Amino acid sequence: MSLKDVIHDIEGYQDIKSEIAVLKKYGFDYSAQRGRLDSILDMLHPKKLRLCVSEIIDETKSAKTLRLVPVQGYLPPFQAGQYISLVVEIGGVVTSRDYSMSSSPSQIGYYDVTVRRVGDGFVSEYLLDEAKPGDEFASSSPAGNFYYNPLIHGRDLVFIAGGSGITPFMSMIREVAGRGLDRRIHLFYGSQSPDDIIFGQEIEDLSRRHSNITWTSVISDPPQGYQGRAGFISADLMKEVLGDLSDRMFFLCGPEAMYTFCRKELAGLGVPGRRMRNEMYGPPKNITACQGWPEYIDADATVSVSMKGGKTITVRSTEPLMNSLERNGIVIPSLCRSGECSLCRTKLLKGKVFQPEGVKLRKSDRQFGYIHPCMAYPISDIEILLQ
Amino acid sequence: MPEYDAVVIGAGNGGLTGALTLARAGRKVLLLERHNVPGGCATSFVRGRFEFEVALHQLSGMGSAERPGPLRAVLNDLGVMDKLEFVEMENLYRVVWPDTFDITLRAERNAIVETLQDRFPKEKENIPRFFDLVYGFSMEMVQGLFFKDPEISKEKYPLFFKYALTPTRKVLDEYFSDPLLKAVLSIYWSYAGVPPTWLSFGDFAIMLFAYIEFKPYHLKGGSQALSNALLDEFINNGGEVRFNCGAKKIATKGGRVTGVVTEQGDTVQTRYVLSNASMLQTYLDLMDPDQVPRETLEGFRSTSIGPSAFSIYMGFDCEPEELGIQETTNFITTTTDMDKAFARWKTMEQQGVALFTCYDVSDPDFSPPGTCQAAFVSLQYGDPWSLVPPHQYYDAKYRYAEGMMELAEKAFPGVRGHIEEMEIATPMTHLRYLGHLGGAIYGHDQYTKDTPYFMANRSPVQGLYFAGAWAMQGGFQPTLTSGRSAAKGILKSMAKK
Repeated sequence: MSLKDVIHDIEGYQDIKSEIAVLKKYGFDYSAQRGRLDSILDMLHPKKLRLCVSEIIDETKSAKTLRLVPVQGYLPPFQAGQYISLVVEIGGVVTSRDYSMSSSPSQIGYYDVTVRRVGDGFVSEYLLDEAKPGDEFASSSPAGNFYYNPLIHGRDLVFIAGGSGITPFMSMIREVAGRGLDRRIHLFYGSQSPDDIIFGQEIEDLSRRHSNITWTSVISDPPQGYQGRAGFISADLMKEVLGDLSDRMFFLCGPEAMYTFCRKELAGLGVPGRRMRNEMYGPPKNITACQGWPEYIDADATVSVSMKGGKTITVRSTEPLMNSLERNGIVIPSLCRSGECSLCRTKLLKGKVFQPEGVKLRKSDRQFGYIHPCMAYPISDIEILLQ
Repeated sequence: MPEYDAVVIGAGNGGLTGALTLARAGRKVLLLERHNVPGGCATSFVRGRFEFEVALHQLSGMGSAERPGPLRAVLNDLGVMDKLEFVEMENLYRVVWPDTFDITLRAERNAIVETLQDRFPKEKENIPRFFDLVYGFSMEMVQGLFFKDPEISKEKYPLFFKYALTPTRKVLDEYFSDPLLKAVLSIYWSYAGVPPTWLSFGDFAIMLFAYIEFKPYHLKGGSQALSNALLDEFINNGGEVRFNCGAKKIATKGGRVTGVVTEQGDTVQTRYVLSNASMLQTYLDLMDPDQVPRETLEGFRSTSIGPSAFSIYMGFDCEPEELGIQETTNFITTTTDMDKAFARWKTMEQQGVALFTCYDVSDPDFSPPGTCQAAFVSLQYGDPWSLVPPHQYYDAKYRYAEGMMELAEKAFPGVRGHIEEMEIATPMTHLRYLGHLGGAIYGHDQYTKDTPYFMANRSPVQGLYFAGAWAMQGGFQPTLTSGRSAAKGILKSMAKK
């Protein structure tokens, strides 16, 4: 005998059986729900986007804005400060790079991404020189954790931008101005020369029309006779311009060196860590200069990477593993390319990689030998498991 | 075409234990996971210096090494115990009605009875009687049902036959008159996702009994450590896993599974599929409509999609004491009317009950030194969220979270001033990562009519098996156990051939 044989002896059993019978007759018909899950998801978090360049706007001599419209359907919403990962194919290599939207999130017709020439930028050069209206790109959905959180960041915001680091702030400023949001913003914007200031005119106009938006432009390499502020965004400057720093929330976006410098300056002014937020910055310019990099490995060192059950390639130790794989036609999932989002999470079976500070590995991922190839540098021959 | 003995769809709790069970039995198994990390709900994510636990609050069924509970036995069998470190929690929970009432129960029967008698002197006699019932019932359920007594009968197990399907509230009303006491005792209803009015006493009693007897547990490294350990052992046993690659279609012929088409378009041959995807989604989106018997989808008519959750993950720049956090598990509530609290899950109004878990109280190493983290969760149905226009979504999310934070502030004044990192997950977030309609975290609603007594859990499609919340019940212990049971069913069927 088993429960099945005596189940009707449980008090209330028959009543529930009749309830079920009624519900089966009149209950919800799920057969009409085929495909509904994806249609809900597509409104908020589509897996991939297909974007078309509708217009290219010259911003400065070295920067352009690509206006991107959806090839089909609608653009998902984003939070000012977030980015998309644009997929490009250059000379047979498929790779991707992140670009923060510079348009306001209330602008739902297009995403603007603003690209600046950086000299050695593989993808930026391509977008500036080759992209034209009508071109189509695959891209990720908006992502990233550099945005304003009204629950904890308060109403008094200070943005510190360096060079093209202005783009996420432009989105935030445009949103605050456009929606008339109750937030006070001061922008410190560091550029090398006055010609490099992207969106200068628009920011100036907005700050004239909106008393809650103010800005200070700082030029690091001023031409002779330059009248404006010159130098760096230092503690003295911030103290002078802002006065009282308490209750302010600082957002930083720019080159790595700027974070190190400004965070130290802010800490010196007594700003607690929780009141500073910076955008990630991708792989360091020079990995061999990073703390902890093994000195015996020089800039030209090469090692072999074998993929379990697959091929073996030779790569440079000083290039992120992900880039080397892409160069060899092996595209693994990527998103932040800064060690943060874990989308590229890969199991390291043998050998050693160097992962600089800032790579955000889960504790147990570390324990079980997972690495983030977008910020992992192979420093010995390695074997990985592509899953 | 590659061939596998079995393909497991989804590396959630049930998928992982199922895949591992099959691999350990020497079967050739392919595990497909659409996300980049194993675990499903049993996962974590990193923000700033914090690694946030997504879903695990109190692991049930572990028991100590000397007195192992059913889950410890399962994990032992699967060979992962030596990779994991568990921490026993001293307390069951704290329930706080801000400015009104505040009580903490130890995870020990006598201590609970004493504390409650002390705080509710008018119910002094009733309290031990109630615990006699909970324990008497649970012992009968363990003997009669779990150990499958062949002589099971109404006469032999009277409490089980009387109370298994009785609404919890009816039993509470029979024993007590103080609504506050009833609310304190039954607060675990929110772990089941069904209020006492509709939660079967069987489900409730066994849950309370198990938490007291086997104690609530915390896992070092969080639930991701468990998911990683299970996956690691699966790989060590020759299992093959593909991440960022879900299943697109389960191929069938003549009512029998023949293969699986992956999201990347590969077809693999197999005669067995263990789906850890939602049962509903498996039939709706993974199979050709003409291959799904009509009665199967009609069977879902009597069920409803269960609750999802709204969670705020917070990383603080100070220790728990500085925030006045003394307990790991804090239920913060504003009402004793649990039906009302439950009804609000279907609206976007301020919640009546929410759970604030600070792992660092039980495990000081959980967050970096000098910091701590909390997960603040209230259950929420997905429906109202799927009606929010996309471009109002973030505003809606913050508006709802603001209400939650006001509630948190009532229990822990000043808590907001120490937040260094915050991430918010809505039912839409769960829908996105879990791939279930409604973003349901416990599968379908677990009303009494949805308990296993009434479910036909055998799929009409030969070779198709299910694991996870939709196959049985939600929560860690049930889902981890479900994968193992399903895999055993598959092995049994394979052995027959």
